[in-house]
Amino acid sequence: MDAKMVTFGETAMDKLLQWLRSSGEPKDIDELLRQYLELLSKLVMEESQ
Amino acid sequence: MTVAPTTDVVDQSALAEAIHRLMRAQGVLFALDAPIRQSLPNLAAFFAVRYKLDPVAMSEVIEAALDADERFIREVLADEVRFVTSRQGGYVPRNEPDTHSFKQRLQDPDHPLPIDDISVVVSTSRPAITTVEPVFISDYWQVQAGLVSVRAEEDALAHELTTLSEPPVVVLVDVPLVVAPTPPLEAPVEAVPMVPTQVAPPVSFTPVHEPVVAPIPLAPPAEVVVPLVVQAAPEPPAPVVVPLPEPVVVTPPPRPMRPQVERGTIFTLADGTPIDLRRPMKELLAEHGATLAQALADKLEHDPLRRIVSFGRRYFPEANVINLGKNDLRKIRDYLLERGGPLLDTELIADVFYHNPRQSDYEGVRFSLNYRLHREKDFEFVGVEGALLWSTKGMPAIGGKRVKAAEMGQITSYLVEGLDDSLQNQSVETIREQGSVTRLLTFFEWEYGVLPLDATLTALLPGPVLPDQRSAVLRFDSPQHYTQALVEVRYPTGNRGGWLQGLEEFFHAHLIPGALITIARGQEPHSFTISYEEASETDDRILTFDEKKNKFAFANIAYFAAVDTDQLPSQSRFGRLNRLKAFPMGERRKAELILEHVIETMGEQVGTRAAPSYTLSFDDLFVGYNTLRPGSRALLQSLLTHGAEFAFDAAISEMVFYTPAPGSKAPAEDEATTEEPTEEPVTEVQPTRRRYGGRYSDDDE
Repeated sequence: MDAKMVTFGETAMDKLLQWLRSSGEPKDIDELLRQYLELLSKLVMEESQ
Repeated sequence: MTVAPTTDVVDQSALAEAIHRLMRAQGVLFALDAPIRQSLPNLAAFFAVRYKLDPVAMSEVIEAALDADERFIREVLADEVRFVTSRQGGYVPRNEPDTHSFKQRLQDPDHPLPIDDISVVVSTSRPAITTVEPVFISDYWQVQAGLVSVRAEEDALAHELTTLSEPPVVVLVDVPLVVAPTPPLEAPVEAVPMVPTQVAPPVSFTPVHEPVVAPIPLAPPAEVVVPLVVQAAPEPPAPVVVPLPEPVVVTPPPRPMRPQVERGTIFTLADGTPIDLRRPMKELLAEHGATLAQALADKLEHDPLRRIVSFGRRYFPEANVINLGKNDLRKIRDYLLERGGPLLDTELIADVFYHNPRQSDYEGVRFSLNYRLHREKDFEFVGVEGALLWSTKGMPAIGGKRVKAAEMGQITSYLVEGLDDSLQNQSVETIREQGSVTRLLTFFEWEYGVLPLDATLTALLPGPVLPDQRSAVLRFDSPQHYTQALVEVRYPTGNRGGWLQGLEEFFHAHLIPGALITIARGQEPHSFTISYEEASETDDRILTFDEKKNKFAFANIAYFAAVDTDQLPSQSRFGRLNRLKAFPMGERRKAELILEHVIETMGEQVGTRAAPSYTLSFDDLFVGYNTLRPGSRALLQSLLTHGAEFAFDAAISEMVFYTPAPGSKAPAEDEATTEEPTEEPVTEVQPTRRRYGGRYSDDDE
C-alpha cells in the first residue's frame, strides 16, 4: 500500500484490534502506538517490495 | 483308496435346500425380499468338505443343482458366478418406487404450507450462531484494504487499456475443409493478396494445421478472410486441397514497459507532520511519539464503533470488557463505605471479587472494573497514575466543609491567570529531580489546612489520569510523628485554580504560620511525606481565628518548629492583624477588596481625616493579605500596579501607598480604634483542641 493512502488512526485498525484482543490484556498507549506503527510500516514496506 | 463320489450320488434337491438354508442364515437380518448373494467358489469350498469332493467338481454339482432350483438366480459379475436368493424364496427385484422416504417427504410434502408470507419459509429470527456471509467487495476497496496487490490490479487494468487501444484485428475464420466436386471458383470471395500457390499432390484430405493467429492491424472495419479452398484441376477426379498460405504473423509493437512505481513510505498527520515509515521505530517514536500517541488516542476516542476503549493510558477492546451488574456495583459501594475511605482498584478486586493477580485475566478484570466504575455516577475516580483509587457518594469529605470548592477555586484563580511566582526560587527540573518542595506556611493555609496548587506543587504532585478528573486523594505521612492524613488535590479547571486540602489537623497540631514545611515524594505514587524543621519550644502570642465569634485574636501558642519570623503573625510583629475583618469566603474572592481592607487596617494613616491615606510595607501587606486569603507577591504587585488608588514602585521603595477615592467609604481607622478596646482576652485553650472539640459545625459554609 502506498503510504499516501494511509490515514493515521483508521488504516489497519482492524489489525491493531486483532492484536490487542489476542494479547488478552490492556496495553499502554505507547505500546499500542508502537504496534500500530509496526503494522503500518509492514503494510507499506511489504507492498513496496 | 477311496473313490470320490460323482455328481450322480449327490442329491441336487437336498443340496439346493442346504444351500438355501445356509444363505438364509447368512441374511437372517435382511428383509424378506432383500437379495442374499453368495459366490460359487465360496459355496464349493464350503460343501466340498462336507461332500468330500474336489472343489471344482463340487462347483459343477452346485451349479447344476442351483440352476435347477427356481429359488436361485444365477448372475455373473466380473467372471465370478454368484447365486442370489432371498429369505422368502426366490428373489424378485422390487419394481414399485419407494415414495415413503425422508427425502421425498421433505421435498414434496403432502400438505405444503402456503407461501404467502416469506416468514413461513424463511426464518426471520437471528440464527444462534452467526455465519459470515460472503460479501462482494469491489476491487477498489480490496486494494484500499490491502487484500489485493495494487500491482496485480494495475497490470490487469493496463492490459485492458492496451487491448482497447490496439487496432482492430482481422479475424481468421477457420472454415472446415470441405472438398466438394464443385466447379472451380472463378474468383475468391474477397480480393486478398495471395501468395502464389503451389499445387500439392493429390490427396484426399490434408490436415490443415491451425495457424498461429496474430492480430493484424487493419484500418477499415474488420474483414473476414475466408481461407482459400481451391479445387485442383478437374483432370484428376480427386479434389485437391490447397493449403492455406502461411499466415502473416504480425508482432505488435512492444508495449512500453510500465515504469517501476516507487511506493511512498511517508504519510502525513492531520496537522501536516510527515511520518516516514522507513525510519527506525525508535527514532520515529523519539521524535514524534507524543504527537502520534495523542493523534492515535484522539482517533480511538472518536471511533464511532468504540472498538477500543481506554482508561487513562491503557487501552483494551470493548468486546473484552467485563460487565458489572447492579449487585456488583452495590457490593463495591458498600465495601467502600465500610472502609470509610478511597480504595485501590486492586483492593476492590481482591476483597470484593476475590480475584487473584496470578489469574491470567487479572489485568483484563482490573481494566474492566476501572472502566465500568468510571461510567457510573455513584463512583468517583480519585487516583493517580500507578494508584487507581475509587471513592463513592456518602463518604466523609476530606478536609471538612469550611471551604467550599467553588469559592476556593475562585480564590486560587490567580494561579491560572499567570500570577504564580512560586518558581522564582526553584525550578521544575530541580523539584522533579529532588522530589520535594519546601515552602512557607501562611496563616490562611495554616488555618484551613489548604495549600494552593501552585507551579511547585504541580511539578511535584501527580497530575490527573483522566481528562475529566477533578480531584485525587493522596496520603501524606509524617515521619516525625508517625501520623498520616488523606489529602485531596483539587485540580484546576478552566479559570479556577487548584489546591490541596486535608492538612488542617496536622498543621494545627504541629505547626504555626510562618513555618517552613517540606513535601516530598513517598514510596508509592500516591504517598508523600510532610516534614518541617524542628526547633526548641517557643512560646509566642500568635494570631488565631475564633470561628465562633468570627474574629481574629492573638493567643499564646507553644511551638516546636523553625519559623521565618518575618512571616510569623505574632502580636509583637503584626499587632494589627487581629483587626482584620473575617470576611465570608464569598467576599474573600474579591482580591481588590481584601487588598484595600488590609492596607486600611494594617497601614499607617499618613493623610488627614478628610483625605485619608495609608502606607504599609509590601512584606507586611503580603502577610496581612495571606491572612485572609492566599495570594502571591505577583498578584499583589499586579493589583497595586493596576489599581489607581495605589502607589507602589518596588525599585524606589518597598512602601505601598493607598489613597482611597473620596467618598468611597469611611476610613478603617475608626473601626480599628473602636474595636481595639474590645479585643478578646487571651484564651489558654489551644486552637487545635478548640477546633476538634466540636466548636465548628457544618453550618459554617
